[in-house]
Amino acid sequence: MTARTVLKNEWRLLMADRPLQIALGLFLVLLGYALTNGVVWLRFQERTVEATTSGNVERASALQQELEAIEAGGQPSSPFADPRSPRVLGGPSGSHTAVLAPGPLAALAIGQGDLLPYYYDVNIYTNEASFQQNGEVENPLNLMVGRFDLAFAVVYLLPLLVLALSFNVLSEEREQGTLALTLSQPVSARSVVTVKLAFRALVVAGIVLGVSLLGALATGGFGSPGRLLLWSVTVVAYSLFWFALAAWVNALGRSSAWNATVLVGAWLVLVVVLPAAINAAAGLLHPQPSRVEMVTAQREASNDAVNRRSELLARYLEDHPEMAEGVVADEPGLGALSWAATDAVNGRLEEVAAEHDARRAEQTALVRRYRFLSPALLAQEALLDAAGTGDARFAHFQSQVRAFAEQWRDFFVPAILADEQMNASVLPNVPRFGVADEGSTDVARRATVPLGVLGGLLALVSAAAGVGLGRVRGAD
Amino acid sequence: MIHHIVRKEFADMIRDGRFRWSAILVGSLLLVSLAHGWVQARKASQEHAAAQATTREHWETQGEKNPHSAAHYGVYAFKPRLALSFVDEGVDPFTGTSVWLEAHRQNDFLLRPAQDATAAQRIGALTAAQVLQHLVPLLIILLTFGAFASERERGTLRQLLATGVGWRELALGKALGASGALALLLVPAAVAGAAALVVANPGPTASPLARGAVLAGAYLAYFVVFLALSLAVSARARSSRTALVFLLAVWVVNGLVAPRVAVDLSKRVYPTPSAFEFARTVEREMADGVEDIAPPDRDESTERLLAEYGVERVEDLPINAVGVYLQESEEFGNRIFDRNYGALWDAFRRQGILQETLAAAAPSIAVRTLSMGLAGTDVEQHRHFAEAAETYRRDLMRQMNGDMTENSLTGDFSYAAGAELWESVPPLEYEAPPLGWVLGNRILSLAVLGAWLAGAVLLASAQVRRAEVA
Repeated sequence: MTARTVLKNEWRLLMADRPLQIALGLFLVLLGYALTNGVVWLRFQERTVEATTSGNVERASALQQELEAIEAGGQPSSPFADPRSPRVLGGPSGSHTAVLAPGPLAALAIGQGDLLPYYYDVNIYTNEASFQQNGEVENPLNLMVGRFDLAFAVVYLLPLLVLALSFNVLSEEREQGTLALTLSQPVSARSVVTVKLAFRALVVAGIVLGVSLLGALATGGFGSPGRLLLWSVTVVAYSLFWFALAAWVNALGRSSAWNATVLVGAWLVLVVVLPAAINAAAGLLHPQPSRVEMVTAQREASNDAVNRRSELLARYLEDHPEMAEGVVADEPGLGALSWAATDAVNGRLEEVAAEHDARRAEQTALVRRYRFLSPALLAQEALLDAAGTGDARFAHFQSQVRAFAEQWRDFFVPAILADEQMNASVLPNVPRFGVADEGSTDVARRATVPLGVLGGLLALVSAAAGVGLGRVRGAD
Repeated sequence: MIHHIVRKEFADMIRDGRFRWSAILVGSLLLVSLAHGWVQARKASQEHAAAQATTREHWETQGEKNPHSAAHYGVYAFKPRLALSFVDEGVDPFTGTSVWLEAHRQNDFLLRPAQDATAAQRIGALTAAQVLQHLVPLLIILLTFGAFASERERGTLRQLLATGVGWRELALGKALGASGALALLLVPAAVAGAAALVVANPGPTASPLARGAVLAGAYLAYFVVFLALSLAVSARARSSRTALVFLLAVWVVNGLVAPRVAVDLSKRVYPTPSAFEFARTVEREMADGVEDIAPPDRDESTERLLAEYGVERVEDLPINAVGVYLQESEEFGNRIFDRNYGALWDAFRRQGILQETLAAAAPSIAVRTLSMGLAGTDVEQHRHFAEAAETYRRDLMRQMNGDMTENSLTGDFSYAAGAELWESVPPLEYEAPPLGWVLGNRILSLAVLGAWLAGAVLLASAQVRRAEVA
């Protein structure tokens, strides 16, 4: 009896097993739904990115027209929003939207994309508080429940399909009395189970990877073969882990019912209970620092800065230049004075934020250690990283926006301090944001840890299954 | 007779090692999550109260300045944690915790705790609500999937019925036996929860005990649904294995698949704008007005005041025309904000209602909605607070603009008010909505859960009656 015979028989069995076909069909339908959800979300993000880009162009060209009109002897559209002033040109009305386009595989995993901001309006007033803005407009209920995307289907539902396909791979033969017959041939239980499970793994991985590749094909994901490879390797390693677990349990020689109970229990513990317990333990042992105190700190910093500038009128005019009716619009040094206060507040905010971020990084590092306990958490991390919707890519984007804001200030602040006016000739030199997306190697390097641990777990379980199956005899 | 069945079932269950271990696991998860939730809620509550006091102090001690400068300075509102939020944190990690109430604009709630957490922390929070909604039903299934099926397989069902016991009694006895075993872990948790509410209330709420009682009732109904379903399936299934597989499939669809499927569906049916689009729309409408909402005209406003006071020149007005104009701008802005935020909240509400309707396919959605509602952590109660904060902002602005109008003259930029005015503004005191308001919002979920309860019990009695002995 060769592997080919086993495979052929397996195929025949599959063709004859109606409930199994229904289960596979249902899984395929769910995967299809998950993929379309991802694609709908991707298109939504793409439209938003497009709107921000055209918004940037429109704002720049409107400013250019106005500046050129002023140079030709015209008047600014409003005397209080004169674009020649660097505080206006570099301020909110001249701001530039820095945006992170969705990753090449974004349709496969929505991940943190619905929670974390992927665009920021950058201007001279951008500071640490600006990074506390909310992400996309979203119903908090939807954020709480989570989305039905491919990553969810892989992490939660794929193991259940794997277990349904393999919980009785050996025990059924024993219960039907065919095990002794099979093992009377020159094959070992180990090779029979391996071939049978390999066939089932091919079916499962074929379905999931087929849908994933289809999604990638439809949304241009093939532009990043590295990420696609990482996604596929994770899917395969994760499903093999569950097949190996089923093989191990089968090797223990108990009944199919016992196998089913134990395997479902394992799924429940590893996928549902453990991640939740880990999160609770992490929250108890390493509580997250609260952002609430940041609000107070920011307030105190700006009170302090404002108190140092005593001119009541200047402050009032700053709040409301349109109310001044030209009284002191050109008071010398007003811009510099105001910038000094802004800068003082920014400095204090950076201190508070740095302190907070350090505590948060410490907490996150501790929490991340516990993920090694659950293959589901490891798979989720690797899948989101591959799709470019994990925490790391957003953090990378944020640090680039921070650098860009610095560049923006460097361009405008000297003119503010010198009380200079700007004209249309500076526009081509105004900084423009271009995201330097992380390369495949960065992603791969980050994914080594979760994938390595997942691989280790797989090897461990496979070894145990191999040893156990080696002991199985036909006549026990 | 029935008490024999109950006693036998109960004894079987607590003697069964599998039940003992899973009950110990679920029971301790429940107690740990209650304790964890309570500690978190109290900490957040204290922090928010402290921050609220600080922002008030800042407001009162801001020194002498023009009332409109004070309006720009504004205050912060911090969302209080309600008493029962320790049972179910609901959407709280995903709504902001604070909002800046300042002149001219309605700001968004910022600082969403989930934004500071990691992706891993999103796939499962261990709250008491999660344990009650997911793990307890699983325990019920494990306790009862074999109630009839196993007895049939062992052939004891025939013997049992030969003693003259009716199907009805048998089913009721098995249900009560399982309930007794479950009560061993649920009653202590309920007592601990109630004690936490009475002894050391972690936060404000209207009628916390009444809310807690209804909450307990909703969960009880949910458990009865699972108990009845499980018995019905066990009575009909060919084997205990089939019963278990079927019930586990129901459990997966109910708790894992259906809620997420419903989210994506509701988003597609009722889409919301992007944050970018929303902000630009508000900006555009604030600049140009929209439909019949026109921005106030400053000259027109001045003309009207001149006519009203019968004077020729702005300088002769006994009031500050700028203050009047500022208030008109506020009123205009308020209409724009109501229009845009109102539409957004309504879209959220419609998404929520669609999901509540889909509870017809998965009772977990109904009990989840009720649980968050009663704990005070659903979207509607977030909106309730957001609107209270916004109303406070509008009153504050009206008071500042009114003071400026009455106590200074047009063009007088030197007028400064002091602590007396700041202190005359009452602090923000939020009153959580009463129980009736919450239940009024949740009629759909109450009805769906009620339908599930009635349906499951009817199904169980029908299936038990038609069950086969062997």
